[in-house]
Amino acid sequence: MEPDERSFRIALTADRYVNPPPGGLDGLAVLAEAGWGVIQLPAEDYPAVVAERMLVEVAEQVREFHSHGYELVVVGECDKLGGALAVVGVSVSDQVIPASAAELRAFLDARPVPAALRQLR
Amino acid sequence: MGVAFVAHCLLNQNSKVAEGAHCAGVYSPVVDVLRAKGWRIEQMPCPELAFSGLNRFWAVREQYDTAAYRRHCQRLAVAVADVVGLRVQQGEDIVLIGIEGSPSMGVRITSSDPERGGRPRWPEGTPEHTDGEGIFIEELRRELNNRGIGFPRVAGETHALADHDEAAQRAALEATLDG
Repeated sequence: MEPDERSFRIALTADRYVNPPPGGLDGLAVLAEAGWGVIQLPAEDYPAVVAERMLVEVAEQVREFHSHGYELVVVGECDKLGGALAVVGVSVSDQVIPASAAELRAFLDARPVPAALRQLR
Repeated sequence: MGVAFVAHCLLNQNSKVAEGAHCAGVYSPVVDVLRAKGWRIEQMPCPELAFSGLNRFWAVREQYDTAAYRRHCQRLAVAVADVVGLRVQQGEDIVLIGIEGSPSMGVRITSSDPERGGRPRWPEGTPEHTDGEGIFIEELRRELNNRGIGFPRVAGETHALADHDEAAQRAALEATLDG
């Protein structure tokens, strides 16, 4: 396969960083500038049944990226994410709950080169 | 202002079929417009990623139009329709942003070639794009209709089309958001 523009880096991102409240941190903007893809996690106020259904789909997609050596991190918190990922046999341990854009950017910049990208080089 | 349900790849180009990513991660031309106009973003799942994987081939509608793939899309449509329903109950304005030319996520233009199959080789410029919706969009329309929810206004990201024009795409998106 020929390479394309993808970064092989994906942040599982809590809704409040994708849709920040007034004065909140726009994590999506930081992630975009840093070249990371985003998988949005369910909003905190969704009914449990809705959030759980969404997390099933998130987990299946994460499994595919994980098995291909993409770098995965969690930005923010999501109660039932760990359980959903465990169902598909995946754990994502690198996590940040950033208070500022600088903190998020420093965390992202410190991540290792994704395994999938190392294999291309 | 309202809620924009966006195709997965608009926030994550890593989900694209091989050789299909147009940027590293977030496709900013669409996100920037949503931000500027104060729209909430809801990312939909990528139907093809979990079903056919990252090493999938480029494909047309006919290759995905199987009972198994439609069941998969129906399951995803239920999850998306749950959230659409919540937002509609809250009185939010809803827009759906798909991917023109996609066999799954096209909202006005999909791809079709009844002859395509077997070893994946075909001439450059094969005219596969045709009017119509992708398979997931059809299943989402059906699910929303079953719940008595009207289908939202739609806009399409047009990067895969030969006549893609970023300024025109932006203008069309803004017009859709403005209703």
